[in-house]
Amino acid sequence: MNWSLFFGELVSGLTLGSIYALIALGYTMVYGILKLLNFAHGDVYMVGAFIGFFVLQWLGGALSPVVNGWIAVAIMFAVAMVGCGALGVGIERFAYRPLRNAPRIAPLISALGVSIFLQNSALLLWGPQFRSYDTFDLVGVKSYSIGNNFFISNIQILTISVSIGLTIVLALVVSRTRTGKAMRATSFDRDAAEMMGISIDRVISFTFFLGSALAAAGGVMFGLVFGQIFSLMGFTAGLKGFTAAVVGGIGSIPGAVLGGFLIGLTEAFATGYLPGGSVYANLYVFALLIVMFLIRPTGLLGSPVIQKV
Amino acid sequence: MKKVVVAATLAAALAVLATAAWGSTKGSSRVAAPANAGNALVKCGKTRSIGLMAPFTGPAASIGINQVHWANFYRNSYNRSHKTKIKFVNEDTMLGSANGTAEAVKGAQALGSNSSVLGVVGPAGSNEVKATTGALKGAGLGWVSGSATNTQITLDGTRTGFFFRTVPPDSSQSKSVSAYIVNNLKVKRVYIIDDQEAYSTGLADEVQAQLKAKGVTVGRDGVSQQQSDFSAIINKIPRNTQLVYLPWQLPPKGQAFGQQMKSLGRAGTKLMGSDGLFDPAFSGLGSNVYDSFFPLNPSDPRVAAFKKVHKATELFGAPSYVAAQVVTGAIDRACKNGTASRAEVRAQIKKTKIAASASLLGLAVAFDKHGDMVKKPFGIYHSVKGVFVRVA
Amino acid sequence: MSSLGGGPPLDEGDLPAVTPEPVDIPDRSRVGTDEWVSQAEARRTAQTGLSGVVARAWERLPAPARLVILIGPFAIFPFITNEGNLYRYGLITVIYALLALGLNVVVGFAGLLDLGYVAFFGFGAYLYGIMASGHSGHHLQAEIAIPIVVVATALLGLLLGLTSWRLLGDYLAIVTLFFLQAFVIFVNNANGGLNDFSYPFVGKVDLTGGANGLDQIDPFNLFGYHITTTKGYYFFTLISLTLLMIMLYFVNGSRTGRAWRALREDPLAAEVMSVPVNRLKLLAFMFGAATAGFSGTIFGAVQSGAFPGDYDVGLLITIYAIVILGGLGSIGGVVIGALVVNGAPELLRSSANARFLFYGVLLVALFVAMRPWYKPVVVFLGTIAFGFAVHGIASAVWSRGTEGHIQGGGRLGRALEHWVLLPNNPGSIAGWAYFALIVAALVLTMVRGWWRVVVLIPTLYLASFVWENKLVEQVSGATRLILLGTLLVVIMNVRPSGIFGTSRVEIV
Repeated sequence: MNWSLFFGELVSGLTLGSIYALIALGYTMVYGILKLLNFAHGDVYMVGAFIGFFVLQWLGGALSPVVNGWIAVAIMFAVAMVGCGALGVGIERFAYRPLRNAPRIAPLISALGVSIFLQNSALLLWGPQFRSYDTFDLVGVKSYSIGNNFFISNIQILTISVSIGLTIVLALVVSRTRTGKAMRATSFDRDAAEMMGISIDRVISFTFFLGSALAAAGGVMFGLVFGQIFSLMGFTAGLKGFTAAVVGGIGSIPGAVLGGFLIGLTEAFATGYLPGGSVYANLYVFALLIVMFLIRPTGLLGSPVIQKV
Repeated sequence: MKKVVVAATLAAALAVLATAAWGSTKGSSRVAAPANAGNALVKCGKTRSIGLMAPFTGPAASIGINQVHWANFYRNSYNRSHKTKIKFVNEDTMLGSANGTAEAVKGAQALGSNSSVLGVVGPAGSNEVKATTGALKGAGLGWVSGSATNTQITLDGTRTGFFFRTVPPDSSQSKSVSAYIVNNLKVKRVYIIDDQEAYSTGLADEVQAQLKAKGVTVGRDGVSQQQSDFSAIINKIPRNTQLVYLPWQLPPKGQAFGQQMKSLGRAGTKLMGSDGLFDPAFSGLGSNVYDSFFPLNPSDPRVAAFKKVHKATELFGAPSYVAAQVVTGAIDRACKNGTASRAEVRAQIKKTKIAASASLLGLAVAFDKHGDMVKKPFGIYHSVKGVFVRVA
Repeated sequence: MSSLGGGPPLDEGDLPAVTPEPVDIPDRSRVGTDEWVSQAEARRTAQTGLSGVVARAWERLPAPARLVILIGPFAIFPFITNEGNLYRYGLITVIYALLALGLNVVVGFAGLLDLGYVAFFGFGAYLYGIMASGHSGHHLQAEIAIPIVVVATALLGLLLGLTSWRLLGDYLAIVTLFFLQAFVIFVNNANGGLNDFSYPFVGKVDLTGGANGLDQIDPFNLFGYHITTTKGYYFFTLISLTLLMIMLYFVNGSRTGRAWRALREDPLAAEVMSVPVNRLKLLAFMFGAATAGFSGTIFGAVQSGAFPGDYDVGLLITIYAIVILGGLGSIGGVVIGALVVNGAPELLRSSANARFLFYGVLLVALFVAMRPWYKPVVVFLGTIAFGFAVHGIASAVWSRGTEGHIQGGGRLGRALEHWVLLPNNPGSIAGWAYFALIVAALVLTMVRGWWRVVVLIPTLYLASFVWENKLVEQVSGATRLILLGTLLVVIMNVRPSGIFGTSRVEIV
């Protein structure tokens, strides 16, 4: 039994999975309330990664930051999350809100349009080149090991713990605060919630803010762990995030996290163990989705949806 | 439904009759071509037109723009020192973009119908060369590429006499690389990772076969060009691997791979790249990095002059300078008697002879019967203090 | 839930202000409002203006006349232009129109969101290549190969359609998208090489040439006649397109067409009314796939090769844009959509042309969107004056701001040099200006009346600034797609059924 391969892929999978989980959370929250597949979510993730990059440049660059490396990272997170939160609110306000009562296909196409717009604006303004976070120079990457077979780096630990931390914060917001209660009510029955005096517009905007902020955190983390960001990175990540949300049960927050980790682990283990692994890794992830549809269409932790006639 | 069936049958019959009436020729000839444009004589004025096909925009723009810069550099220096002028008719092929090779074919068709265009520099991708063959050949144009390296496109006979290239093919690169790995580095366990693009898989296949024939253990896998997270595949590489070969096109990806290798505790493994990765971003990784590149002379005064204008050497585009040089020279010779046809220009390209001392590539430029250069070595470089130094 | 009516948003000065409007969206139909009422506003506006007259005249024409008007220009086109233009504007447009018609059946008629559609296009090209190319060694004649390809692609469509039995809306979209990804990865690796699967009985086979593509595809060999010229392929495709349009017109009026519309509007109600929903879904998928496969053979023969990168998400978005622009469910609209989506970027390739188009569209949009007539005139004159003022101040205060040159030249360009700010090295200023432009445009949608006029003037000037300094650089690449994305969002907001589509009403 090749333990070093096993542990290596395990750590890779958890790291990847924590990023997918953050993206999946945004998808699942928006779908729960609006029943809308937000194609532009992956591109919000990309914008978050770029905002983090530009904040880093503004702070002096990876080689000579004005403040301590870790504080720079914290600032990058904060600015990216707030910035993308605002972006998400803006997208909802202008691309989705007017279409709330339109036929189902209209907001879907509008989302596609926003996605194309964001991708190509990034391409136009920031060029097709890859930008590097230079994590080595910024905070240094230290590798810890347990025994001969288990390696993990400090950035990977940071990624997994930040992801879990943010999920806990989100779960607390949704279950303990009044706004969270309003969100749950809206996703259960929108018209009833409106009649009970909840401002739907504000709840939806808040949902988008949260979801986009989480995606931005994912984007910054991706840049830190893997080093390279570019304008088209949102597409595949968004797809996998959506897969994670569906596999875990759309509309369920713990489901999204579970789905994210599951997808990440599938990708890592498929690459490591299956022939032609890395090339077909994406396909194995999608195959998992198909299998999930056939066995349990509502996802692992989702509740069955009853269609009223 | 019956109406539909009747309509469909009538449809098929009508279609057959109609197309038999239009645009049909007996016998086998290539696709979609205007007839006999190759032999039309054009009066050579003071300004001669050359088609320039390159990815000005799109995902490959970062390397396409290097080629454009070098081609324009040649044009500017030629125009300064000659009475006759050349100008480029630009066609953006958008390599790697949404419409794939369709843009290249559109560009080729446009150049074909432009009667003042006598020769073409480009396109950049081997797939684009294949797709545009019908249009360019049908128009009688000869074309010279500075970066289409797929070994087969000169050897399969469909483009002989029309297509030439000023860059050594993949077979040269793979031979040089595998020879160096076996004879100089003397490693026994190699892992190859391609990036799923045509250029990369072609090189990877050849190197893998050659290494296997010499008794080296070779593992093989691939990543997508869009991918940045290599941790999963790095973990898969067996710990006793001595060298990882990366025939990739984008230097930042090579840099990311090297950095992730380091962060996963694999800093000791050697890395060998291909000419696409010949860039300070890759050499900056450390002294375990090697690369292969055509033996351009970096101290050639033209490189320094180029760097002055464009702030970087952009060496990937240098063969396009030579391609422009070849086409221009051919047009000059064909135009000696005042008129030229595309067929004449093609014949003159075949007879190109540029001495090594005058050539930017550091070796003489002449074409063999397939369209490849006669001399086509590849050099191997080693990263010393962050800069590539030639070692073989 | 009810949907938007089909008309453009109302503007002041158009109606007497008796109808109290909901706070945010002026023309949203309310719950419980029936179809006649929700289309009342559309009817009122449709009777005014030139567009109303044209629309009603068009509707009164008999179908064959409409067909002739649509296809006529295409038929004449080859005789008035050269080879290169014919290929660029003609052949590619017609192939895309054929593709889009097939997609229109799946999405527009039957309402199934199929995001894997271009995989069938690629499948058609590759299969034809396997049967008739120098690469594979077979040289079947086209009259045998094409029907085989069409039938095989239809079967593939059937298989994919089976997934639609259990999946609704968005899930179907995702599954079909994954199918496309799987197709691209498969085709990129199926070259019998080291990464390929080993099939039972035959081992590794070079099916598709892998990343190098399947090259040397034979031109069409129909009963001994070879189609080798662009004109030949053009007419072949145009005739196929015409016949397909005729066939779809009949299908639309038949029982199957009505059943598809019922399926699109409300699958559950249709099923209750004993419409064979599952069979119809399969039929739609098969038809779309067959059309795509057929266009694939044409495309493969024209390019004499099939390459993996050609059949990916980018093409999917282009075809979707054609269908949405032209109107979901509208046959003629698809042809116009193809012309716009394919023709416009070609026109945009040279900066001078793009400039004309940009300012032209801006002017036209201004005069169409703002009524009564004096408002756009005020905006137009105001912007010009504003521009000169800013330019004058800038050249006095910030010399770097006016030193640059217009890209592309031309008379309009040179005239504009005196009006627009052209900094020598725009750098990040252009980026911030772009951002400011987006914010300004969004603010515009929130204000009304004379405020709109006031905000519009600096916004237009800013738009011109951003265009000249940033957008014009990448006109055929990123800019085209930015405009496409914006267009999609705007169309969905203003007229979700597309230009020629029929507006749909969803009543709950």
